This record gives sequence, structure tokens and C-alpha cells, in this order.
Amino acid sequence: MGWFIAHISLVCFGASYAVAWALELSQLVRRNKAGQFLSFGFVVAGLLAHTLYLGYRVVENSVSPLSSSFDWCLVAAWLLVGAYLYLSWYYPRAALGVYMLPLVVALVVAAAFADRTPFDTPGASRVWGAVHGIALLIGTLAVAVGFVAGVMYLVQARRLKRKLPPMPGIGLPSLEWLEKVNSRVIILSALMVGVGFLAGIILKLVAQPGAAQLPWSDPVIWSSALMLGWLVAAALFNGIYRPSRRGRKVAYLTVVSFVFLVVALCVLLLVNTGHVGQKSHPQALLAPGTLGDRS
Amino acid sequence: MKLQMIGCSHHNSPLSVRERLAFSPVQIGLALDGLRERFPLSEAVLLSTCNRVEIYTASEDPEGTPSHEQVAQFVADFHQLPIYEIFDDLFERTGDDAVRHLFTVAASLDSMVVGEPQILSQVKAAYELAKDRQSAGPLTHGIFQTAVRVAKRVATETTLHQRRVSIPSVAVGDFARAIFERFDDKKVLILGAGEMGEETLRYLQDEGAHDITVINRSFERARELAQRWQGQARPWEQLPAHLTSADLVIGTTGATEPIVTLAQYKQIEAARYQRPLFILDLAVPRDFDPAIGDRLGVYLYSIDDLQAACQKNRHDRDQELPAAIHIVEHETARFMADLHHRATAPIIRRLREGWQQPKDDELRRLFNKLPELDETSRREIAQSFDRLVNKLLHPPLESLRSEAEKGPPHGLLDALKRLFQLKD
Repeated sequence: MGWFIAHISLVCFGASYAVAWALELSQLVRRNKAGQFLSFGFVVAGLLAHTLYLGYRVVENSVSPLSSSFDWCLVAAWLLVGAYLYLSWYYPRAALGVYMLPLVVALVVAAAFADRTPFDTPGASRVWGAVHGIALLIGTLAVAVGFVAGVMYLVQARRLKRKLPPMPGIGLPSLEWLEKVNSRVIILSALMVGVGFLAGIILKLVAQPGAAQLPWSDPVIWSSALMLGWLVAAALFNGIYRPSRRGRKVAYLTVVSFVFLVVALCVLLLVNTGHVGQKSHPQALLAPGTLGDRS
Repeated sequence: MKLQMIGCSHHNSPLSVRERLAFSPVQIGLALDGLRERFPLSEAVLLSTCNRVEIYTASEDPEGTPSHEQVAQFVADFHQLPIYEIFDDLFERTGDDAVRHLFTVAASLDSMVVGEPQILSQVKAAYELAKDRQSAGPLTHGIFQTAVRVAKRVATETTLHQRRVSIPSVAVGDFARAIFERFDDKKVLILGAGEMGEETLRYLQDEGAHDITVINRSFERARELAQRWQGQARPWEQLPAHLTSADLVIGTTGATEPIVTLAQYKQIEAARYQRPLFILDLAVPRDFDPAIGDRLGVYLYSIDDLQAACQKNRHDRDQELPAAIHIVEHETARFMADLHHRATAPIIRRLREGWQQPKDDELRRLFNKLPELDETSRREIAQSFDRLVNKLLHPPLESLRSEAEKGPPHGLLDALKRLFQLKD
């Protein structure tokens, strides 16, 4: 059993999710029960392998689930799969997989390219690192869910405006529900990214008490700050300007939020800024956080 | 054993006839009591909906089942009608035709709107009532339970029930439900008092809508309709105010010009704060300027828009029908095979009993001759005899089973009776 778990790789569950996504897409062309069950089976199998993989990393490598960019991406993907399964149970006839599974696959692919070196956050910084990482994780998931809900809203609204009947078995949730989800995730994501950003600043101050000022030239920091600025503006706009809570506007807000998120994540994962606090780069700051590095 | 159905439906009888033959829920109970009294050897279930009146009877003894004439006479007596007025409207299905008919009805393949879901609950309710009145029995239990299962198979294995084909059902099921998550907190505004508007209201009420306002040029008619639907009537002059607060609007007036123009809508638009507005324009000519449908948050559907969706659904549904009919045919054949096989049970029992006696006699004789046999040896020998009897009985029983799949195995049963001298 141990040998089996040790040989689970990213490809195992990444491919599972990709196949499930392909099966969901095939349902758009021809709906059949077997394809639905198969798709669900692949997602569950992928989630199982994914869980075992994360568990094995924690136990064998003595690393906490958010201790590197690699782990952070995998935990985000894992939570997104959980959200997908929950929403599929809530809306069994909706084609949620078509919209949510590509994000899961993208996060697994991002993990494959992400740095596996644990963050270097000694002593008191660990608490702030944990707050930083968890808050940004929740914020990221909220933006991702909002994006999916926003896209589904636009697709559904377009169908209704064009007076087309729904495709049986692969409908979408109602506009009212999608709008509610969008409104809530805008506030949640602004709040969580704000907390994560603030925790990052405190983390910096705790880790380097003598530092004169924050390194604003760091692309990760300014892209994160830009995203936070947008999210706060969107949340305020949504709260103050009444029609913005209606219809397509809120969907557009969440879709644009996602664009900011993608930019921030690309900068974090692809640009070597030294931001993520690897041992070779002691200036840990606005990175996905840490729950304690025991390696 | 005899199964039969006698009744009428929208296929062969006009509404005027169905109305005369229909049974109210109270009358169904009384009719079932009457059937039990008049035909004590027969089980009976009565299904009465707005589209059909069907009496299912079944009995192990074919002599105990009422004939077509007897059932027609019963219905005529119950409704105090001359039998000649109704006799030609009552058709009959017997044996596998009756089974197939019930499965088709329960799966909503025989409904006026194919795929409508209410019929299954009506079939279930008919059987439950018959059970409560003790007019149902093992035969009707088997056929009605299977009918419910067949209907569920058709619902899950085909998309027939997901294709709505009437304009109000498409409007509410395919469009309004895609806009609103719930209807119990929505304001419904009815303009005019058209029949299709009422049908749409029925669907909306099924979804939970209860805040209903009726506006009509004739306030009296508005009040009548509002009373019928437990809503409120409002004078025509309040139309702009109610249009501002409404979530769903149904237009069914007989006006020759649009009653809400784009310019009029623009006047109230700002006050709506882009809140979604579902407008179902069932009037001909239209009550709403089609340009209103281009405004933000407005989803406007006219009869033609929905007609297109209905046509598409009807076409898709037609393509699903063969799969549904295949399920009904397969289940009918299976049910009849089980039924026929069950009818052979008494003969099989007698056949087994007929072999049991000589086997026991031979065992007793053998054990008397060999008293030195211990308990284990005796048990082994007894088991060998049992196996031998089972092996000898296997071919005729298998033949009986396969014959039962084709129909009642009367010939084979007679042959077995004569060969093994089995007495009734």
C-alpha cells in the first residue's frame, strides 16, 4: 500500500481530472449516462489520488500542506475539486465540470512548474506566514469560483436573450443563484486577499525588523497590490452602486478579477523575483504562505 | 388468470364524454366498494384523470373477472346513464395489451402532453386508494408496482420528461426557472384574463409563486381572476407602478396595439435598477413592444419565440420515443413471462409433491433394510436422493419456464398433468 501511495504522481490525478473534463465536454455533443458516471468516477479517483499524494507529502517529507508554491497550488486544486463535487451535488444537472475542471487542471499544471523548495519562515514569522498563505488561498478560490459563476451567468443570460431552449441534462444554475454567488465571492475575495496582503506586510516586518521599506518594485507585490485594489474597488462598487449588483455587471467584475489573479499567479510562479522566500532568497514576503517548515 | 382494462381516454373520447364518465376522489372510493361487491372474485383499480377513466380488473380465475359489458354496465349504473350512451366509448385491453397500456400510461407516453409528470403520481394514487379500499390484490399490486418502476426507467434512461412541449410549461420550466431560483418571493403581474395566462399561473403556483396581481381594463374580470388565483386585482391606471415592482409579467390582453411601448418602459426602467424582468407575452397582437426585450435585465418571450422552443422540444422528444417504447415493450414481456411462470406454480408444486412421496418411501425402505447405517451415511444418501429428484425435475421445469416466456403454457401444463397424473 505504502509503495502504491509513494508512486502516485501529479500525472495520475492531473490526467484523471483532464479525462473527466474531456468527458464533460463530450456531453455537450452527446449526452449519455455512461459518460456522466465515467466523468464523475474519474474526478473521484483523481481526488482520492490527490488526497493520498498530499497526505504522503505531509507524512513522509514532514512538510506542511502550504509550505511551498508547489504544495500551495495542489491544495488550491484539491479544494476546487471539493467545491466542484459539492456544487455538482447541489446542481446535479448543471454542466459545472465544463467550467470548473479546466481550472483544476490548470492548477495541477501550474504545480508541476512551481518551486518545491519550502519557504524559509523561521520563528514568529510562521504564524503570519500561515495567515498569509491561508488567506490568499481562500481569496484565490473565491476568485476562481466567482469566475466560473460569472462565465456561467454570461452563457446562461446569452441563451435566455437568444430564446434558446436549454440542452437537457446539461443546464446551468439560475441567473439569480449565479448572481448571488458572484456578489458574495467579490466581497469574500476582497476580504481574504486584503488579509493575506496585510499578513504579508507584517510577515516582512517580523522577518526583517530592520528593513526600511517594502520592496514595491517586486513584481509579485505590485501585481498582488493591483489585484487587491481591483477587488476592493469591485466590492465597493458592488456595495454602493445598486445596479452593479444586477445581471452582467457583477459577472464582468468577477471575470476581470480572475484576469488579475491569473496575472498575479503567473508573476509568482514564472518570474524569478526571489519573492517566495526560498532558502536562497531570505526576503520572504507576499508569497503563498507556510504552516511551518520542518524539513 | 385474466388481466384487463376497460375505459376511455382523450384518444377515443371527446371531453364531453370524459366529463360524464369521470370519477371524483370520493366517487372513486365508492366505485371501488361497488366493484368489490359486484365482482367479489376480481381485484380492481380505478384511474380517473381529466384525460382518462380506466378500470383495471384482474383475477386468478378468468371466470371471476367481469366482462366488458359488465364493467360498462357498472359505470353506467354508477353515473346513472343509459349504457348505450357510453358503451361505444369504452375500449378494452386484455392480457399483455392491458399491461402494456398501463406501462405506457404511467410512463406518460399516452398523455395528451407526452412526458408530463403528473400522470405517474395519479397512477400511484389510484393504486394506493384501491389498496386502502381493499379492492387491490396481489395481481394488481404486481402490475402497478412494475408500472411505477417502468415509468421511472423511462424518466431516467431517456430525456423524454425533460422536453417540455406546451407553451406555458416551456415558458416556466425552460426560461423562468433559468432566471429565478425561487418564486415564493417574486411578484407576478397578469395583464388581461386569457386562458393561456391562467395555465401559466398554474405552473407558476406549482413553483411556489403566490404574490399575484391581476390588471385588466375591466376591473370586474380582473377581480374574478384574482379571486380564482388568490391574488389581488388592481385598476388599469396602476400598471406602471406594478410593472416597476414586478418580477414576472404575463400579457394576455386582447388589445390591438402594444399596451407597453418602449418609451413607456424606459420611463420605469431606472426605478427597476436593472432587476431581472421576465415578460411572457402570450397576446396576439403582442402586448409588449419587442424592442423592450433588448433592454438590460429584460427577458421577453412572445408566443412565436416559445413556439420555436416547443417545436424543437417536440422534435427532440419524438427522437426519444423509440427508446421509451422499447423499455415499455421489454418490461411488458418480462412482466408477462413472470406472470405466466407464476401461473405454473401450482403444477410445479404438485409435481414436486408427486415425486417427494415415492422418494421418501424408498428412503424409508432402504434405511429399514440397512439398519447398520450411521447418521452421516443416512444424511448423505438422503441428499443423493434429493439431488436425483431435482435433476430429474430440472428438464421439465426448464421447458415450462421457457414456454412461459412465450405465453401461457397451457399445452405443456396439460401434458404434464396427464403424464404425471397430476390432479386439479
